Amino acid sequence: MSSTPILEVRHASRFYGKFKALSDVSVSFRAGELTAIIGPNGAGKSTFFNVISGGVPPSAGQVLFQGQDITGIAPHEFARLGIAKSFQITNVFKHLSAHENVRVALQMQTTRFQLLRPRSHYRELIERADTLLARVGLQACRDKLAGDLAHGQQRSLEVAMALACEPKLLLMDEPTAGMSPEETLVMMELIRRLAQERTVILVEHKMKMVMGLCSRLIVLHHGELLVDGTPEEIRNNAEVKRVYLGQG
Amino acid sequence: MNKHLFQFIALARQHRVAAALLFLLVFPFLMPYDALSVNILIFGLYAVGFNLLFGYTGMLSFGHAAFLGVGSYLAGITVVHAGWPWWAAILAGVAASSLVGLVIGFLAIRTRGIYFSMVTLALGQIVYYVFYKADHWTGGENGLRGVKVEFIDLPGISINFLDPLNKYYVIYVFVALALWFLSRVLSSPFGAVIEAIRENEKRAAACGYDVARAKLLVFVLSAGICGLAGTLRALHLSVVPIDSLHYLQSGQAVMMCLLGGMGTFFGPFVGAAVFLYLEDVVTNLTRYWMGVVGIVFMVFVLFFPKGLWGTLLHQLERWQGRQGGAA
Amino acid sequence: MLDISPQLFALQLMTGIALGAIYALLAIGLSLIFGMLTVVNFAHGAFFMVGAFLGVHFLGITGNFWFSLLLVPLATGAIGLVCERFLVRPLYGRGIDYPLLLTFGLSYVLIDVMRFAFGIEGLPSSTPAALRGSVSLGFGHFPLYRLFLIGATAAIVLALWLFIEKTRYGLIIRAGSRDPEIVRVLGIDISRVWLLVFGIGTAIAGLSGLLAAPTRAVNPEMGIPILAESFVVTVVGGMGSLPGAVVAGLLVGIVFAMTSLVAPEYAELSIFVLMAVVLLIRPQGFFGKAGLMS
Repeated sequence: MSSTPILEVRHASRFYGKFKALSDVSVSFRAGELTAIIGPNGAGKSTFFNVISGGVPPSAGQVLFQGQDITGIAPHEFARLGIAKSFQITNVFKHLSAHENVRVALQMQTTRFQLLRPRSHYRELIERADTLLARVGLQACRDKLAGDLAHGQQRSLEVAMALACEPKLLLMDEPTAGMSPEETLVMMELIRRLAQERTVILVEHKMKMVMGLCSRLIVLHHGELLVDGTPEEIRNNAEVKRVYLGQG
Repeated sequence: MNKHLFQFIALARQHRVAAALLFLLVFPFLMPYDALSVNILIFGLYAVGFNLLFGYTGMLSFGHAAFLGVGSYLAGITVVHAGWPWWAAILAGVAASSLVGLVIGFLAIRTRGIYFSMVTLALGQIVYYVFYKADHWTGGENGLRGVKVEFIDLPGISINFLDPLNKYYVIYVFVALALWFLSRVLSSPFGAVIEAIRENEKRAAACGYDVARAKLLVFVLSAGICGLAGTLRALHLSVVPIDSLHYLQSGQAVMMCLLGGMGTFFGPFVGAAVFLYLEDVVTNLTRYWMGVVGIVFMVFVLFFPKGLWGTLLHQLERWQGRQGGAA
Repeated sequence: MLDISPQLFALQLMTGIALGAIYALLAIGLSLIFGMLTVVNFAHGAFFMVGAFLGVHFLGITGNFWFSLLLVPLATGAIGLVCERFLVRPLYGRGIDYPLLLTFGLSYVLIDVMRFAFGIEGLPSSTPAALRGSVSLGFGHFPLYRLFLIGATAAIVLALWLFIEKTRYGLIIRAGSRDPEIVRVLGIDISRVWLLVFGIGTAIAGLSGLLAAPTRAVNPEMGIPILAESFVVTVVGGMGSLPGAVVAGLLVGIVFAMTSLVAPEYAELSIFVLMAVVLLIRPQGFFGKAGLMS
């Protein structure tokens, strides 16, 4: 087993003027783990997510992926390195079909600057797109416009697109946001399956959901790392109780 | 009856280049006089080039006159000052406008959204002033004169370029090439990248696409097509007016594109045809053409943003949907 | 090196500042409209032109420059209010390009309306009687009117700053530009605010036209290059920034004036080159990206 953590965050901070969204957070993730970042509102979860996913560079500190310093690299480089993300607010190509959405994501690997051959000639891409759609259970909606899909289905589509770059690290920002209980269960099962083949880091605020799902929880509070441990440890931690119950 | 119509439409859409070219083949016979047809063909191509950037990629440039103008001037200069043959002049014009597109694109793409429109307008004006000042080469305020190409000499035949109908069909060949190329690009994987960028830039970047690079490539392609239109215009008019480079000329591309239908393949031609035909009619009735076109344009922006062709296509699709008709 | 005396240099600098004052006003108007409505007013040059025409016209009728100074911005502001209410507002949901496109079409209409009203040749304009002549500045004589321009602009900028920073309505404008939702929640009709800001923006544009009229030819096309030049100032200063508009306006005016001194044929080009350089090293402009007035 490799000793290099797949993702390492060293003393990361993010300031917006005087406001410290993230303050000196250091944490490392081993390959194959399924971790959730939790914390009350305003804890800095989204900022942390943005820093590790390329949404925003840290004001200070470093981010390393497989030992390589990726601090401040361009957002589009992340997918190429094997880090994929799904957004908190669903972000798909609304006017393209589900199939086209996934195919665009897949194309990145092989043919992005191909100018003259028609897309219909790339049989393999079409098949792979359909395979990915089936992975997330959307094969029936293949030709529907992404904007017309149900909310839960759009979230699943995003996951399919994230999988297109064959990521070693999958980052998901509140994957069950806005979902009904049934949809949440489906997504949880999907995440569990995905976590078997790669490292997954979630940002969530649904405590119950992550308790049953993840082997490791990281609690943030006011931009700082509060506790890092197993669900059991977190459940019994006085600090965490205070932070959550103390909120109005 | 409806079923056949839908089948016909589906066929036309699948083979959009052939359909467009077929229509353009007979177009001169629908217009009152040939010089108007030539103008429509040239400006249609200009609008098509602009549409690639605006309609398909979602980037509103107000500096595209720079590419039309550079194409015209370089073609003209090589003919007037260096005595080059017509085909070399066209190549020079396209190459030069693509290069200018690379430079302007590189600078402009550093900005986003509405800022981009302002910046492209201002950068286009740099080209205007440069060409204005270089009057030894360009004729300055009076424009470049004497771009005389009277005969198109091909192996075997010599075409009299001064005959408007001949002119139309010579230019038609180039337009056909450009449309074929454009169609290929749009159907290619890169075409999907363009669409993705227009739809949702952030999403495209999250998928891993270097959005800035892709945009720059589209910019250069767009500049090249507009440059081609420029070279053809220079050969057609035999002069290159300095106003070809002014941002009002850029605005004309915007207007034609919107009037016709942005993001559609044939829309820009429709827009060019409507614009130029209208100009022809209105300027015979009143001197306030600018006011008229301003009002027409505002009406379209407010009520018919899809343009004439775009609205037509949209209505056809809805009608087809209701009829349950399929290809 | 050219033979330029320090006195000539200083005088030309003053000329640059006077020119810059106009540019600053134009940029402020643009920035206000952009900062609040996220609309780039492509009719800004046209409103400048309308202001110049109305200014000369009112001066001709009333003989009173101060009266025109008050009336013209009210007039162009009113035209702006009508345009915002009926032409621009329907487009807000649509996509950021649409209001821009509409104002472009509007500029065409304004140009021809002025041609219709005042003829295609334009109007002769002269310096108002009270402000003619020149003033001794120690290093030379400088036209009184240009001095007035600088002073008037400074007063207008100060008044605007006070309005935005110190008054309740100004606070609403600042708040609205950062978060329209909050303003709505507070029970304020945001569309009223947009209307007002657009009106203020076009009023300032008209005012700058009025002030500039004695220094240049007043014709229907005068706003066309002005639009491009105001964009240059905005890119250099940063969109949506009041200090940026002022600093960049003055800088552009000075660059133009000093280039006119040493290489007059390249004066127009020089300011665009300045913009290109800024684009290369700092694309957001000197004061760029910040909120409306900070």
